[in-house]
Amino acid sequence: MAAPIAPISLPRPIDPIVLPNAAAPASGFHNVLANAISQVVQSGDKADAAVSNYLAGGNQELHSTILATQNASLNFELLLQVRNKVVAAYDEIMKMQI
Amino acid sequence: MLDPVSTQLDRYLTLVSQRQKLVASNIANADTPGYQTQDIDFEAQLRAALQAPDSAAPAPPIASAVPGLRVKNDGNNVDLDREARLLSENALRFNMATNFLRSQLKDLHMAIQGGSA
Amino acid sequence: MSLFNSLSVSASGMTAQRQRAEVLVENIANADTTRTAGGGPYRRQDVVFEAQPVGQPFSSVLQAQLDNQPQGVAISEMVVDQSEPDRRYLPGHPDADKDGYVLFPKMNPAEDMVDLMSASRSYQANVSAISAVKDMINRSMDLFR
Repeated sequence: MAAPIAPISLPRPIDPIVLPNAAAPASGFHNVLANAISQVVQSGDKADAAVSNYLAGGNQELHSTILATQNASLNFELLLQVRNKVVAAYDEIMKMQI
Repeated sequence: MLDPVSTQLDRYLTLVSQRQKLVASNIANADTPGYQTQDIDFEAQLRAALQAPDSAAPAPPIASAVPGLRVKNDGNNVDLDREARLLSENALRFNMATNFLRSQLKDLHMAIQGGSA
Repeated sequence: MSLFNSLSVSASGMTAQRQRAEVLVENIANADTTRTAGGGPYRRQDVVFEAQPVGQPFSSVLQAQLDNQPQGVAISEMVVDQSEPDRRYLPGHPDADKDGYVLFPKMNPAEDMVDLMSASRSYQANVSAISAVKDMINRSMDLFR
């Protein structure tokens, strides 16, 4: 008589493919954008507070108020330019033929 | 965005403004009996303001009586020549500081625009 | 507390000096007035200045108490000269009394003229102050691109 047939054992499951560390690096572009946005919000809040304080007659000089608003305006402008460049880069990539 | 130099210029402008306010007050009271000329210790206040960290809110300077002025018969010691000189001096200092700031703001603006409108 | 308060301070100075000049001019013009509505000769008037904080627009009273306010100026009172008028012997004068003496105002026109020049100079200094402060405010606004 033939020896009993050993049951077929399933092969070892294949390890799932692990991509290299997908977390954004510390100095990545994503952080630059996040920083710019938070700066805009912060300086915008400071400018609003400065203007309110000045109008209410608080201990604030006119030039300090103007500088705070200019600061906020410059931050916003920078964010705007960054956003424009990002959109332009995206368009470029989309135009590439794969 | 605005660097430490702008913060210092801001404080400088504030000090000059406060000094000018006292000069105007002295001129208005040039004939008030018993009135003592008021001023701030500009150099000391400026040094303190420049050394303070950026985040600190500057303390308002104390106005004090100016020593060494001739007292007139009615107790008033305002010297209109001194006040007129300070009026011009403060105006020129203010002018200079705002010019610096304007040029800084313009440079930042150009840098952000990247040289193209 | 911005530079605008300083404009009010200088304006108060201009007002006070102008009123002082008006009183001095009245004194000079009435140097020989022997008859006034209230009876008797004209009596010289003097103004007394007093340092006073000027009101700020948009500011709270509490803030005004806390700050070391620059002082404006105002005329606190008008002093009428109470000294005896001059008596001059002019028997034919319509205001002569029974002895022929007329009461004339006790004046010091030279002093009043000098005071008038001083008031004019102080007024001019206040005008310069307003001009300088206004210039500073305009330059602040130049910080807007």
